[in-house]
Amino acid sequence: MGRVAPRLLIVEDDDHIRTALRWALEDEGYQVAEAVDGEDACRQVAASVPDLMVVDLMLGAMDGFAVVREVRRDHDLPIIVVSARADTHDIVAALEAGADDYVTKPFQVKEITARLRALRRRAGSSGGGSETGGDAGSALPEVVLDSHPAAPLVLRAERGTVHRGEEQIHLTLTEFRLLCELAASPGRVLSRAELLRRVWEHGFFGDERIVDVHVRRLRTKVELDAGDPRLVVTVRGLGYRLDPQ
Amino acid sequence: MTWRLRPRGLRARIVVGFAAGTLLVSAVLVATTFLLARNYLLDQRESSATRQAFTDANLLRSRLSTAGVEIGDVLADLFPAGGSAVVVRNGEAWYSSSLDVGARDVPGALQELVAGGAAGTVRIESATGPRLVVGVAVPAAGIEFFEVAPLTELQLSLRTLAAVLGAGALAATAAGAAFGTWASRRAVHPLEQVAGAATSIAGGELTTRLPSTDDPDLVAIVGSFNSMVDALAARIDRDARFVGDVSHELRSPLTTLTTSVEVMGARREELSPRGREALTLIEAELRRFRRTLDDLLELARLDADATAEPLPPVSLGQVVREVLAHTGRPADLLTTDGDAPTTVRADKSTLERAVVNLLDNADRHAGGARRVMVQQRDGAVVLHVDDAGPGVAPADRERVFERFARGARTARGSLPGAGLGLAIVAETAARHGGAAWCSASPDGGARFSLALPGVRP
Repeated sequence: MGRVAPRLLIVEDDDHIRTALRWALEDEGYQVAEAVDGEDACRQVAASVPDLMVVDLMLGAMDGFAVVREVRRDHDLPIIVVSARADTHDIVAALEAGADDYVTKPFQVKEITARLRALRRRAGSSGGGSETGGDAGSALPEVVLDSHPAAPLVLRAERGTVHRGEEQIHLTLTEFRLLCELAASPGRVLSRAELLRRVWEHGFFGDERIVDVHVRRLRTKVELDAGDPRLVVTVRGLGYRLDPQ
Repeated sequence: MTWRLRPRGLRARIVVGFAAGTLLVSAVLVATTFLLARNYLLDQRESSATRQAFTDANLLRSRLSTAGVEIGDVLADLFPAGGSAVVVRNGEAWYSSSLDVGARDVPGALQELVAGGAAGTVRIESATGPRLVVGVAVPAAGIEFFEVAPLTELQLSLRTLAAVLGAGALAATAAGAAFGTWASRRAVHPLEQVAGAATSIAGGELTTRLPSTDDPDLVAIVGSFNSMVDALAARIDRDARFVGDVSHELRSPLTTLTTSVEVMGARREELSPRGREALTLIEAELRRFRRTLDDLLELARLDADATAEPLPPVSLGQVVREVLAHTGRPADLLTTDGDAPTTVRADKSTLERAVVNLLDNADRHAGGARRVMVQQRDGAVVLHVDDAGPGVAPADRERVFERFARGARTARGSLPGAGLGLAIVAETAARHGGAAWCSASPDGGARFSLALPGVRP
C-alpha cells in the first residue's frame, strides 16, 4: 500500500485475542492501537479519531454498546463489533447503537479484514470518489429524492452529502452508501441479499438483519415521518425500494 | 381349577375386593339371621306343640277315665285328620288317629324316654316332610301319648326366609361391586391423570404439570410429581445448556488460536520445512475444530430458541436455489413442481444451514447429491436430497440424525465430520414443527428428506 496506513483501534479486554488480532491486522497493513476497556477506548477516540474500530461487545463496566453509542455521537467512522454469539439480540442492539457490521467469535482474521476493506472502500468512494469512478455515486452528481416544496431532499453522491432543505443530514458512511445504492435504481426493488452484497460486500449467507437495521436508521434521518416511510419502502418478502417523491 | 393369582388390574381388584367383602359380610349376616330365626321358630313351634300335646293327653285321659271307652274310637273322635296326628301306646297295642301315622313314626329313643315316665320331643324326617313328635306318659290311664305334628309349613316359611335373605345377600354383593366400581374409578382417576401427564412429559412436553388439588390424600402425590418434573426439566435444561456453555467458553481461546495461526501462516516462509508441515496440520485441525464448534453453537442456539417470535415466510425452493448457487453446485440439480408455492415459516439462515448440511452430507458419504427436489405434499413442503452412494441401512436410518453419529467415510482423504450436521437438520425440523428422515432413493442411494409445514405465501 502506498498510502498512509489506516489507523485502527481494537477494543478488546481479552489480552491474548487483542494481541493476536493486532499482529494479524498489522500484517494486513493497518496501524493498530489497542484499548483494553470502554473508558480507555473513549479516551483514545477523544484524543485522536481512528479511521476504523473493532469493538468487542463483552467488555467490563462500559460495554461495547456504550462505546459504539458514545463514538457514534460525534464520528461516522466504520465500526465493526465482535459479538459473543450470533443468536441473541446483541447484534441487532449493536447495529442499532450504530455499528456498521459484525463478526462472531470464533472469527477468522480474513472475515474482519474483508469487512474492513469493504467499509474502507466505501469511505474512500463517498469521501473523494477518486478511485471508484464507475460507482453509482459519480453517475449521479445531484439527485432530488424528495421534491418537497419547503424542504427538498437532495443527494450529492460525489460530495458525500445529503441535504433536507438548507440543512445537511448527517449520515454514517454505511447509511450514505445504502442510500446511494437505493437511489441508483429508483423504483426498483433491491433484495436484502443484493444490498448486503453491494453495500457490505457480504457473500455467502449474510445476516439480513444488518440491512433491516440500517434501513431503519436511515429512515429516521431522511424520512419526513419515519413511522410512515414513503421514500424507502419495504416490499414484503422481497426487499426495499426507493420511491422518489 | 387353577386360580389366577394376578388379577387384571387395580380397578378390577378394587371391584372384586368390594364385592367379596360385601358378599362375606352379607353371607355371615344372612346365615346368622337364618339360624337365629330358624331356631326361634322351631323353639316356638316345639313349645306350642308340647303344650298342645299335654292338653290333648289330658283330654284323652279324661275321656278314657269313662269306663268302656275304646282308645281307637276316642282318638278318631278327638283328633280329626288334617292337623297333628296322635299315636297312643297302650301296653303292646298301638293306636293312631291317622292312617298315615303309626308306631313306626315314633323314634325308639323317644319311646324309651316316655316309657320311663318322662316327656320329650324329637324332630324327625319323614316321606311327607319334617315332623315334630312329642311324647308324654299318661300313667293315670296307663298309656303313652305321642303327638306327631307336621313341620312342613314351618319349613316352607324357613325356605322363603332363606330365599329372601339369599336374594338380599346377592343384592348387597351387587351393590358392593357397583360401589367398588365407582370407588375404583374415583381412586384410579388421579392415577390416570398422573399417567396422562407422564405420557405427555415423555413426549417432550416438559411444561406439563398436574393441576393443584385440595384433596389432602392427593396433595403429596401431586406435589412430589410436579417437583419431580421440575427437577427433570431443570436437569435437561442444564444438560443442554452445558454443551452450549462449554462451546461458548471455547470461543475465546479458539479465536486467539485461529488468529495466531493466521499470523504464523503469513510467515510460512520463515519456518523450516517440518515447521511448515506442522503448521498445515494445525490449520486443518483448527478448521475442523471451528466447524465442530460452529455446529455445537448452532445446536445450542436451536435448543435455546424455543420461544421464538413468529417466523417470517421463506420460500424453501428459493433458499435451495440460493444455496446451490452460493456453494457452486449446478442449479439444474433442483427439480420443483412447476410454480407450486414452497413457502414455509422459518429462520432463513437456519434453513440455509440445514440445506447446506444435507448437501454436505451427500458430498461426504455418497460422492455428492444427484438430485434435489422441493415439493408440496399434503400442506407440507418437502425437500429431498438424493444421492447415488451406498445408502443407509434401515437400522441406521434414525441413528444418523443423532448427535455425534458418524457414517462411513467414502473419500479417503477427507476428515470425518463431528456428526452434528444431520443432528442440526433434525433439530431444525423439530424447531419448525416439521420432520427429517432418511429413506432409500429410487436410484439406490440414500434419500434425506426435510419436511416443514407449508404456509400460504
